[in-house]
Amino acid sequence: MEEKKPEIEQISDSVVKSDGFSYLIIDRFDGLVVEDVEFHDAVIIDGRDEAFVRQIVRRIRAHKKHDIYLKPVYILRGATITDPFIQKLTDGTLYSLDQLPFLKDETERIRTRSSELKFTESISFEAQMIEKVICFMYTSEDRVLEPIPYVYADINYSYPILSVNFSRHDEHSILDILEIAEKEGIFESEFHDKVYLCGNCNSGRLSYREVCPKCSSSNSKTQDIIHHFPCGYVGPIDDFTNEIDDELDCPKCNKRLRHIGVDYDKPSVLHTCNNCGHKFQDYNVNAKCMSCGQDQRAEQLAERTIKKYTLTKKGEMAAINGFVTTAKDIEEIIGSVKYETFKTMLKYEIERLRQTEGSSNVCAIKIDNPSQVYSQLGSDVQKDLLIEIVKVIRSNIRSSDIISFQNSSTIVLSMNEIPTRIAKKILSEIIDILKRLMETTLKSMEVQFHTHVIPLDYGMSPEMHIHQLTKELE
Amino acid sequence: MIEEILDNYLRFLQSLNVGHFVRLFWFYIFFEFIRYFVIEWIVLNIWRLSKYLNRDKYEKARQEFLFENPLVSIIIPGKNEGKHIYKLIRSLKEQTYQNIEVIVIDDGSDDDTPTIGRDLEKAGWIDQFVRNEIRGGKASAANTGLRFCKGKFIVHLDADCSYDRDAIEKIIIPFYLDKQVGGVGGNVMVRNYKQSLATTLQAIEYFDTISIGRVVTSKLGVYRIISGAFGAFRADVLEKVKGWDIGPGLDGDITVKIRKIGYKIKFEQDAICLTNAPGTFKKLAKQRLRWDKSLIRFRIRKHHDVLLPNQSFKFSNFISFVENITYNLVLNVKWYVYLSDMIINYRSLILNILITNFLLYTITNFVKFVLYSVYRKRSHAPMSYFLIYIPCMVIYFGYYLRIVRSVAYVQELFFKLSYNDPWNPKKTSQHAKRMGL
Ligand SMILES: [Zn+2]
Ligand SMILES: [Zn+2]
Ligand SMILES: [Zn+2]
Repeated sequence: MEEKKPEIEQISDSVVKSDGFSYLIIDRFDGLVVEDVEFHDAVIIDGRDEAFVRQIVRRIRAHKKHDIYLKPVYILRGATITDPFIQKLTDGTLYSLDQLPFLKDETERIRTRSSELKFTESISFEAQMIEKVICFMYTSEDRVLEPIPYVYADINYSYPILSVNFSRHDEHSILDILEIAEKEGIFESEFHDKVYLCGNCNSGRLSYREVCPKCSSSNSKTQDIIHHFPCGYVGPIDDFTNEIDDELDCPKCNKRLRHIGVDYDKPSVLHTCNNCGHKFQDYNVNAKCMSCGQDQRAEQLAERTIKKYTLTKKGEMAAINGFVTTAKDIEEIIGSVKYETFKTMLKYEIERLRQTEGSSNVCAIKIDNPSQVYSQLGSDVQKDLLIEIVKVIRSNIRSSDIISFQNSSTIVLSMNEIPTRIAKKILSEIIDILKRLMETTLKSMEVQFHTHVIPLDYGMSPEMHIHQLTKELE
Repeated sequence: MIEEILDNYLRFLQSLNVGHFVRLFWFYIFFEFIRYFVIEWIVLNIWRLSKYLNRDKYEKARQEFLFENPLVSIIIPGKNEGKHIYKLIRSLKEQTYQNIEVIVIDDGSDDDTPTIGRDLEKAGWIDQFVRNEIRGGKASAANTGLRFCKGKFIVHLDADCSYDRDAIEKIIIPFYLDKQVGGVGGNVMVRNYKQSLATTLQAIEYFDTISIGRVVTSKLGVYRIISGAFGAFRADVLEKVKGWDIGPGLDGDITVKIRKIGYKIKFEQDAICLTNAPGTFKKLAKQRLRWDKSLIRFRIRKHHDVLLPNQSFKFSNFISFVENITYNLVLNVKWYVYLSDMIINYRSLILNILITNFLLYTITNFVKFVLYSVYRKRSHAPMSYFLIYIPCMVIYFGYYLRIVRSVAYVQELFFKLSYNDPWNPKKTSQHAKRMGL
């Protein structure tokens, strides 16, 4: 019996091995590099602090690399965690590391499922998101994408695997992406609920108030209106009160009010606005957006349908074979080459350097906030933006150098036969121009860029170059 | 047979001398001809002349009004009037004077009026739609409207009427002509004059008797009733009289109340409103019974104090009152006196007397109709349309309306039936009856 006990091998502070699988244990922020997840088979997060777990899970599932976001994530000592968001994004809990062997099957299963997938690396942001969702659903063998009511979501509902990719303010674009996916036949949908979003910023954090129809102030006074039958007088109750006692006296005929329904009644109410003095019977209902401050008529809110989505057969095939959109993919942008072509050219350049002395470089420019750019610009404008960016880069590098998109937010380019120092300088000039361009065209939003240059090293494979380049960008 | 009657009648005419004529037709000569033709015509000419002489003053008042551009609140109280509101609002949107707010008061409608009202409110066609869930009667509905008004002037309209493009402008100007004016009545005309004989005859009545009659009484300072279909009031004056009292007949009542506190009441012939008159004689009888009963109720019972020489006594109010009583009540009684006089004393001539009366009245009506067209502003109908109906007016005025009036007076004087009128909710009528209002 003793010998049969499966072996758990502590490799380091944060790595344990069990059944041949390597588990990365994350229990603090210090020194955490999410990219390390790629080199392990699963992640175990210390579950004592819910906020901590939420953040780590978010960072893993939000990662662009499928080698990271698809990894199994378990929670250690997470019995107290009730957040549905965390539950949807993790694969199980354990009470102590001794239980690791029980995770073997699940880890194995997810690894197998993941290995069945092909990825297209589309440069369309929507396509990337859709691919991510369906791949995640495929590996977790969950055919249903269910909206969960979620207090931290700006649209009041969360589709966790999609939501992690967006900041709270941009979450509404999830609904657009899901609609595209449904049109592509990836999902079937079922009505779940309706939400009302701010017409200005799409937030669902609204405060509804009854307001004056003239000036929209919520500061008003409400009084019953009294109709005195004998004389026909109609007026607010204040007209009838006296200073001596609680009785009500008619200001027109001086008679005392006796009995409701017999000598008087209260047929309606009178609201008086304390702001503009308007008198009215019916309030307007206004919704004040707690995110942007906009106060709007309830009728002006954007009504959106929240649906429950089920993966179709076509959706499953798209996960396995790689998702290619029929409509929304960004076609080849003039001045750039396909990513595959870029990798081939890179290989030749490395070969060439092996034979001749010289210095060549590979560079990357990354948009740091692509989900924000997408949610605020929409895919058409975003495409125009990418075209503009390529134009700028093109006019600043030599014609023999090539440009390509690794994905919709990462541009890679070669800068051959110049010292790395010069390549860095040119690149920083390009960024300056891009920033100025963005400032003048997109006044309300800032696009942030991140760059990196590495010299080509003929001792390294093209894949290794790209790996180093992108790792540095994260 | 007919030849014999004609023969007989011609001989009767030949035998007539002046003394005899006066003796036989005293009612026509003294009441109808002198009061309602000669005096009326003289006053009309005076009115015409003074209007011409004061045309600069009028233009100045108009300029003052338009320069000040005061908010005019239009209140439209009613029950189950939703179907009419659209047409009315359309004519209000066309007004030359646009600083208006429109407030519709729904007095406990049980049809789709609330839906229509709220829709119009949302669409911005009316400024406010106020609903009393429980019906309280027309007075209380109008009074409710006052609670939501902000204007310097209040215009009271009926939902089933529509208005000339300049009607609002025209009805407000008199307030600027004379700062003592507290209320102005608009000129009501019949829109559906072609619908039936009843409406055609009413149209003629509105032209000659009501409209011209009001021009005359207004000129004499004894104008009595601001029509509920179209009346304008100073908001502060309405506030002083604390709004309308319980009806029916609240239009006449509020006029008396305003007069009592020292303000003038004017009629504006140029402020034109089109109304739908009752389409059958039966419906018309019902309407007139209500109007006529309110004369007894409000003039004689409620406001008899204008006859008494106390501090609120005003000669014009006194005259207005006496004129009203004479025209309606006394005249009605006198007519029966005349009829009895003829039957008792000239029994053998009764047929000839009837024929002569008929001819006298018809000729007068023709002359009045044609002559008065000079004083009429203009009409929404071709005048020639009405000419062939003029002979019917003798029957309409002389018999139909007179009988209705008589019935009304008897009902009200002896039985106080107006308090049972379903026009008001019972709960309010009971109180009015007990208090002698
Ligand atoms: Zn907002
Ligand atoms: Zn009272
Ligand atoms: Zn207000």
